[in-house]
Amino acid sequence: MRYDCVIIGGGLSGLTCGIRLAETGASVAVISTGMSALHFSSGSIDLFGYNGEGRTVYRPFEFLDEFVGSNPRHPYALCGARQVREALFYFRGQLDLEGIELYNNDESNHFHVTTLGTLKPTFFSQRSVFNEKIRLAFEKKSMIAALNFEGYRDFYPELAVINLRRNVLFRNIEIITGKIVYPDYGDPQRNPFEYRSVDIARIFDTERYLEELAVQIRNAASGAAFAAMPAFLGISNFKRHHKLLQELTGLLIYEIPTLPPSILGMRIDNALKSRFASLGGVYIAGDTVTGGSISGERLESVVTENGGGSALSAGSFVLATGSFFSGGLVSEFSRVREPVLDLKVYSDAERSRWYAPEFFPRRGHPFLEYGVETDERLNPKTGDGRRVKNLYCTGALLPYYNPIKEGSGGGVAVSTGYRAAELILEGNS
Amino acid sequence: MRRIETEAIVIGGGATGAGTLRDLSLRGVRAVLIEKSDIASGTTGRNHGLLHSGARYAVNDLESARECISENRILKKIARHCIEDTGGLFVTLPEDDPSYHGKLIEHCRYAGIRCEEIGVREALRMEPNLNPEILSALRVPDGTIDPFRLTSANVLDAQERGASVFTHTEVEEILRDGDRAAGVRCRDRLTGEKIEIYAGIIVNASGVWGQRLSASAGIELRMFPSKGSMLIIDYRINNKVVNRCRVPSDGDIIVPGDTVSLIGTTSKKVDYDRIDEITVDDDEIATLLESGEKLIPSVSRARVLRAYCGVRPLIAVSGEMDGREISRGIVLIDHEKRDAVGGLITIAGGKLMTYRLMAEMAADLACAKLKAGKKCRTHRTPLPGSERRVDQARSVKFFTGIPNSVVGSTLYRHGHRIRNILHREKRNYGLICECEMVTEGEIEYALKKLNVRDIVDLRRRTRIGMGPCQGQLCAYRAAGLFVKYDSATSDESNKMLVDFLEERWKGIKPVLWGDALREVEFGYWIYQGLFGLGDVRFEEEAEKR
Ligand SMILES: Cc1cc2nc3c(=O)[nH]c(=O)nc-3n(C[C@H](O)[C@H](O)[C@H](O)COP(=O)(O)OP(=O)(O)OC[C@H]3O[C@@H](n4cnc5c(N)ncnc54)[C@H](O)[C@@H]3O)c2cc1C
Ligand SMILES: Cc1cc2nc3c(=O)[nH]c(=O)nc-3n(C[C@H](O)[C@H](O)[C@H](O)COP(=O)(O)OP(=O)(O)OC[C@H]3O[C@@H](n4cnc5c(N)ncnc54)[C@H](O)[C@@H]3O)c2cc1C
Repeated sequence: MRYDCVIIGGGLSGLTCGIRLAETGASVAVISTGMSALHFSSGSIDLFGYNGEGRTVYRPFEFLDEFVGSNPRHPYALCGARQVREALFYFRGQLDLEGIELYNNDESNHFHVTTLGTLKPTFFSQRSVFNEKIRLAFEKKSMIAALNFEGYRDFYPELAVINLRRNVLFRNIEIITGKIVYPDYGDPQRNPFEYRSVDIARIFDTERYLEELAVQIRNAASGAAFAAMPAFLGISNFKRHHKLLQELTGLLIYEIPTLPPSILGMRIDNALKSRFASLGGVYIAGDTVTGGSISGERLESVVTENGGGSALSAGSFVLATGSFFSGGLVSEFSRVREPVLDLKVYSDAERSRWYAPEFFPRRGHPFLEYGVETDERLNPKTGDGRRVKNLYCTGALLPYYNPIKEGSGGGVAVSTGYRAAELILEGNS
Repeated sequence: MRRIETEAIVIGGGATGAGTLRDLSLRGVRAVLIEKSDIASGTTGRNHGLLHSGARYAVNDLESARECISENRILKKIARHCIEDTGGLFVTLPEDDPSYHGKLIEHCRYAGIRCEEIGVREALRMEPNLNPEILSALRVPDGTIDPFRLTSANVLDAQERGASVFTHTEVEEILRDGDRAAGVRCRDRLTGEKIEIYAGIIVNASGVWGQRLSASAGIELRMFPSKGSMLIIDYRINNKVVNRCRVPSDGDIIVPGDTVSLIGTTSKKVDYDRIDEITVDDDEIATLLESGEKLIPSVSRARVLRAYCGVRPLIAVSGEMDGREISRGIVLIDHEKRDAVGGLITIAGGKLMTYRLMAEMAADLACAKLKAGKKCRTHRTPLPGSERRVDQARSVKFFTGIPNSVVGSTLYRHGHRIRNILHREKRNYGLICECEMVTEGEIEYALKKLNVRDIVDLRRRTRIGMGPCQGQLCAYRAAGLFVKYDSATSDESNKMLVDFLEERWKGIKPVLWGDALREVEFGYWIYQGLFGLGDVRFEEEAEKR
C-alpha cells in the first residue's frame, strides 16, 4: 500500500497534520496505537501561559514574537510566530466545521477553572468552559453554584471552592455547592458510585433524562446565575443538549475539567477524526508502527505490529507519537530512546538529572523537555547521524519545551503538526 | 497546654511500641502511646516483612534464631490475618560456597527449625520462576508479615481496651523530676498543640531515634545506624520467600507480599545525624537488581514500582562507645539501674518478628516497677481481625451481591473485622482505589477507627495508592473523602494531597525509568497540568483541626 503521506500517531498533532494534508487532496493514512493525550487533557488548548519566571502571560502572540528570537530550538521557533498563529486559527476553523466552537479572548489568554479551583491561562476553550456570557455574568459578580452528582467519586466541589474563594478574581462572588442525584438509568448491576465521566456523559446524551435533570439542577442551584458542573455533559449530543439544558433551567451551565477520561478532550478527538475521515483520510486504529526502512536520506516504508510483515510506503512520513506517556519516547535504566526508528534524542545521560528533587518543583521536571532532536525543517537524524529528509517530527515528541511549565502543550502539538503539513506541501509543489 | 496523667507512657508507634501498648492494656494498665509521625512509619514500615523462621540467623546467631522460630509459631496463631504462611526456600547458586548448605541444616537442627532438603526439580515445581541453575534447595517455615496491618491491629486492640493514642505528636523532651523521668512534653505536629503527659513509667520504644530522645533526659544511648534498601517489583514473581543459601550479604532475598514482590537488601553505615535524610543510591539499585536476577531471572524484565530504605537500629549495650559491643539482639534497658534515672526503660533492637517478645519484656519490667498489672497474655490472645479463622468461601456467600474481589481484598486486609467494614450498600463497596480494591467503606472505617490523619496514613492502613499506578486517581478521591467524612477541612485535604504526592515521589524517583517514568509524566500532568496543585497557596500551616 502506498500513500502520499503516512502519519504515525493519531493524537492532536498527527490529526491536525492529517487534516491539513487531506484537505489538499493528498492520500493520507494515520496509524495510531490507542488513546492519545487528548483523552486525558483539560480540553483547552494552551498556547503560552507562563513566562520563564512562572508569571502569567496575558498576550501570548505578542510574547511569542520576542520569545522565538531568543529560544531558537523551541518548537514555536521552528514554526515561526506567524505560522503558529495561522495554525491555531486554522485549527479552530476545522473544529468549527465539526460543530465544536472554541472560544478565544481575542489576542489574549483567558483563565479556565481547574478541578481544584486554581486558574490556568489558556488560549482556546470550548464554549461550555468559557464564553462572553460567562465573562459578563462573572463581571457582574453573579452567584455561582458548583453542582455534582451525589456519589460521583471523581469530583469534589469543596476542594475547588476553597481555592476559588481565595482568588482575588472571585472576591465578592458568592459560591455555593449543591448535589443532584442520578436519574434512574442504566444497568442495575453496575454500581453508580463507580461511574466515570463517560458513563455520566451517556446520561446527558440521552434526551429523555434532560427535563428531570434540569429540574434538579435548577433546584440545587437555588438562585445562582451559573451552575458549574464537572465536564461530563455529553459527547455526541453535547451541543444541542447543553443548549436545551440552559433553556430549561434558565442558568448558564458551564463545565470544569475533572479526572480522566476527559470528556472535553474526547469531543475534540471525535471532531478531528470525523473531519479527517470526511476529507478521505484513512485512520488505522489499534495498530503500532514497529520499525521502518531508511535508505539514504529517506524513510521508504514502515511496518506495523498487525501488518503481517507488509510495509506501508509513502512519499513522506510524520512521526507524532507523543512523549513517554504515549510511547513516543521510552526510557531505560540509563538512557532515553525513540523506539520506532531509534532516532537521535535529546536527554541527559545521568538519570539523577532527569527529574527535580520535589514532585512539585518550581523549575519543572527536565524529562518533560526531552525528545527527538530535529533541524528547523522538523527532520530528525538517525542514531548514526544521518538526516531523514522526508520524515517530520511533531507534537509532544519534540524536545526543548516544557508543556506544563510553559502552558504550551496543545499549542505546540497543533502548530508543529500544521507546520509539518506545510513543509510537506511546499516540498511537493 | 493540655495535661494528661496516666499509668504508663509508650514512646514510638512502631511494632515494638504498639505491641507494648497492647500488652500493658491487656494487663489492665492504663497507657498512652505517642508517635511523632504515623503508626508503622519508622523502621517497622521499612523492611521486608519477612516472617523469619530463624534460618537466616541459625549459623551466626543461634539465640536470635531460637527467638524467631518461637515467635513465628505464636504469630501464626495470634496474627493470622497479617501473615501469609508461604514457606521459604534457601537455594544455592553455582557460584556459592556449597558447604553453607550443610552448615545451615545442622544449625537449624540446633535451633529447632524444621529444615528439609528438597530436590532441585521439586523446588522449580514450587517456584517456577526460580533460576533453573540452582544446585540445591532447602525448605524452611519462613512466611511474610504485613507490618502495617500488624501494628495497626495492636493499636486497635489497645484502644478498644482503653488505651489512648496520639499520632503525629512528637515527644520533644523527657521531663525529669529529680532522679526520675516523670513525664513527656509533646507537640502535635499538625495542629501545633502542646501536651504534657505524666506517668509512673515511660517506655522508650522509639527505635533508632532513641539516642536523640534519651539525650533529652540526660542519658547516653549509642546507636549504630545501618541502612538497608529494598525494591518493589510490580508483579508477584514468587510465592515462597526465596533466600540465597550463603553467608548473609547484599541482595540475597526475594519476598512476596500481596500483589508484589520485594528484593532485599543492602547494608550501608550511615551517620547518626543523617538518619532522617537517607535515600536509596543508584549503586544499591544496581546491586539489588543484579543479585535479584540471579535468584529469579525474570526480575530483569519486571517493572520496579518503588525503592525505599530503612535503618537498622543497632545499639551499644553497655556504656561502651566504640561499637565493639553492638548487639543485634533484643536490648532492654532499665535506666534506673544503668543510669540512675528512675521511671524510664528502653526497649530496642530485635526484629519485627520479635516485637511481641520485646513488648512482653518491656511490659514485665514496667509492671514490676509500677507494682501493678497482670501476667502477659499476648501470646495467646488473638489480635483484632484474627479472632477466628475466616473462610473465604463463606464470606463471599455472606456478602452475596458484593463483587468477590472486593470481599477477598477486604478479608485479606482486615480478617474477621470485615464485618465492621463491608455492607451490602452500593456506596459502601464502591471502589476508590482500583489497583488494590479499596472501597469507600474501607476508607470510612479507617478514617473513623484506625487513627488516620492524612492520605499517607490511609495508605498504610488500606494499601490505597500502593498498586501499579501509585495513586494516580485515588489520591484525589481520598482527599475528597476526608472532607466528606469530616476528617479534614478542604484546605487540609488539598494540603495532604500535596504531601501524599511528595511522599510517593520519594519512593519513585530512585527508580524513575521505564513505566515508572511514564506513570509519573501522567501523574504530573494530572496534578500540575490539570489541577494546578503546585500553585495552591495554603492558609497558615498550623490551622486548627
Ligand atoms: C493528562 C494531560 C493533560 C493535558 N492537559 C493539557 C491542557 O490542559 N492544555 C494543553 O494545551 N495541553 C494539555 N496536554 C498536552 C497536550 O494534550 C499534548 O501535548 C498533546 O495532546 C500532544 O499531542 P501529540 O499528538 O503530540 O501526542 P499524543 O496525544 O500523545 O498522541 C500520540 C499518539 O501516538 C500513538 N502512538 C505512539 N507510538 C505509536 C506507534 N509506534 N505507532 C502508532 N501509534 C503510536 C499513541 O497511541 C497516541 O495516540 C495534556 C496532556 C496530558 C497527558
Ligand atoms: C532493611 C531492613 C530490613 C528488615 N527486615 C526485617 C524483616 O524482614 N523481618 C523482621 O522481622 N525484621 C526486619 N527488620 C528489622 C525491623 O524492621 C525492626 O527491628 C523493627 O521494625 C523495629 O521496630 P521498632 O518499633 O522497634 O522501631 P520503629 O519502627 O523504628 O519505631 C520507632 C517509632 O518511634 C517513633 N519516634 C521516634 N522518635 C520519637 C519521638 N521523639 N516522639 C514520638 N515518636 C518517636 C518513630 O517515628 C517510629 O515510628 C529489618 C530492618 C531493616 C532496616
